[in-house]
Amino acid sequence: MIEVHNIIKKFGRKQVLKGVNFTAKKGEITCLIGINGVGKTTIMNAIMALTPINKGSIQIDGKAIKKDTFDRITFIPDAITVLPHMTIEESMQFMRDYYKSWNDQRALELLSFFKLNPDEKIASLSKGNTAKVNLLLGLALDVDYVLMDEPFSGIDMFSREQIANVFTSHLIEDRGVIITTHEINDIEHLIDKVILLDDGVVIKQFNTEEMREVEGKSVVDVMREVYQS
Amino acid sequence: MKSYLKLTNFEIDRFFKIYLVLIAITVTVQIIGTIIVANDYMNRASRIMNEESLQTSAFIHNYGYFSLLNLMDSLWFFGPIAFCVAGLIFYTFFIWYRDWYGKNTFIYRLLMLPTSRLNVFFAKATAIFLMVLGLIALQLVLLYIEELIVELIVPLEFIQFTSIPQIMNAINSAYVVLFPKTFIEFILIYGTGLIAVFTLFTAILLERSYRWKGVLMGAGYCIVASGIFLSPVLISELSGNYYLYIGEIIILEVALGCIIIASSIWLSRFLLNKKITV
Repeated sequence: MIEVHNIIKKFGRKQVLKGVNFTAKKGEITCLIGINGVGKTTIMNAIMALTPINKGSIQIDGKAIKKDTFDRITFIPDAITVLPHMTIEESMQFMRDYYKSWNDQRALELLSFFKLNPDEKIASLSKGNTAKVNLLLGLALDVDYVLMDEPFSGIDMFSREQIANVFTSHLIEDRGVIITTHEINDIEHLIDKVILLDDGVVIKQFNTEEMREVEGKSVVDVMREVYQS
Repeated sequence: MKSYLKLTNFEIDRFFKIYLVLIAITVTVQIIGTIIVANDYMNRASRIMNEESLQTSAFIHNYGYFSLLNLMDSLWFFGPIAFCVAGLIFYTFFIWYRDWYGKNTFIYRLLMLPTSRLNVFFAKATAIFLMVLGLIALQLVLLYIEELIVELIVPLEFIQFTSIPQIMNAINSAYVVLFPKTFIEFILIYGTGLIAVFTLFTAILLERSYRWKGVLMGAGYCIVASGIFLSPVLISELSGNYYLYIGEIIILEVALGCIIIASSIWLSRFLLNKKITV
């Protein structure tokens, strides 16, 4: 389980996170929702120790993140994390070289799932295909947790559909996923838990199934209620 | 260790095209320079010998032999060396900043590798150090090639043959940095270079961790590290009291250098693990 305890983050004088608390379990898809600048990416970066927090703590399966943890958790940011002159195959080779958790079979499966040409250079890929390669490099790792930052941001409808299909496949099964997105419609039915953020704090968190069954509301309904009230 | 070696290899691969350009510029400019300087000498010799009706021996007596030192005093020789030095200093900064900027945020990948983040620091430093040593080795080979070219242009009776070690003994102080005469000099000069690289890397990581405040902290760190490293010499020079023998000053410098390297590594490790921001 990923546990985020009361984290505070300041950029200069501006306090972006003002005591954020939530947990994300293995086998569940947790979605962080909030308007731009609310601190969603900062939370992701903080979980991966890519930005320091001023206060609070983050634990993954009860332990603080250290070098070995990166073989158990992966982060797929909204920009690709390999070099533009590399081909897709070279990017995969790079990952294979450093990660014990790299799964070649799964990588090939994703390659064919996304219909990508391994000889194509990263620099020449469309935005949609770049997002798919980013996803491939993250999901081909046999890890317990996957963090995705805006995986649908700025890409065409067909690529979005293809990426959304990943969430219903065995490629995600049994993993703990934390995702930030604005494009909630594509994956609303797949989300297990929603965390609504505003002004640096969690203003509401709920289980989507319970919300549907008990209150008869969809995620979008709750978002309207919370953000437009 | 395996990750460190792979990362070092990766960093060298990334720089290799620029490195080949530096090598090509050095080789081309120095060889063209050798041809021009040798031809100039021979044209001058012919003109003077004609005008003053001098024999070869008299010309050499009055105007001197041709030696590689003539070439080494020209812009053709030190120009490309200065260019390579500037290129490597630029690369010391670029090796970090290119990972943060541009379309592809490679720093995310580097910091998320399942290995100590200090390996990234060491790999970058090693890559720069190996490139420096590579350029020095190239320069030594080039000196031999330039000597052969001179022999093709200048008749043997005009040439003062000097071995490369003799040339290294005769060269001016600026080149001593490039071609240390003894192993101790090599350790001291390139050790100082390594201290400079580690100090600059730490300053860059301070900037990457604290941004604007980090610029001041980085500059401060460089000034303090330089002050500490140079303190034995500075104290002697400023006070006018030369209490220490050269050997004692060298031992002190080595000890202070080790302290600066250790503190740079410690601080960089702390910054990479606790303070760095993508």
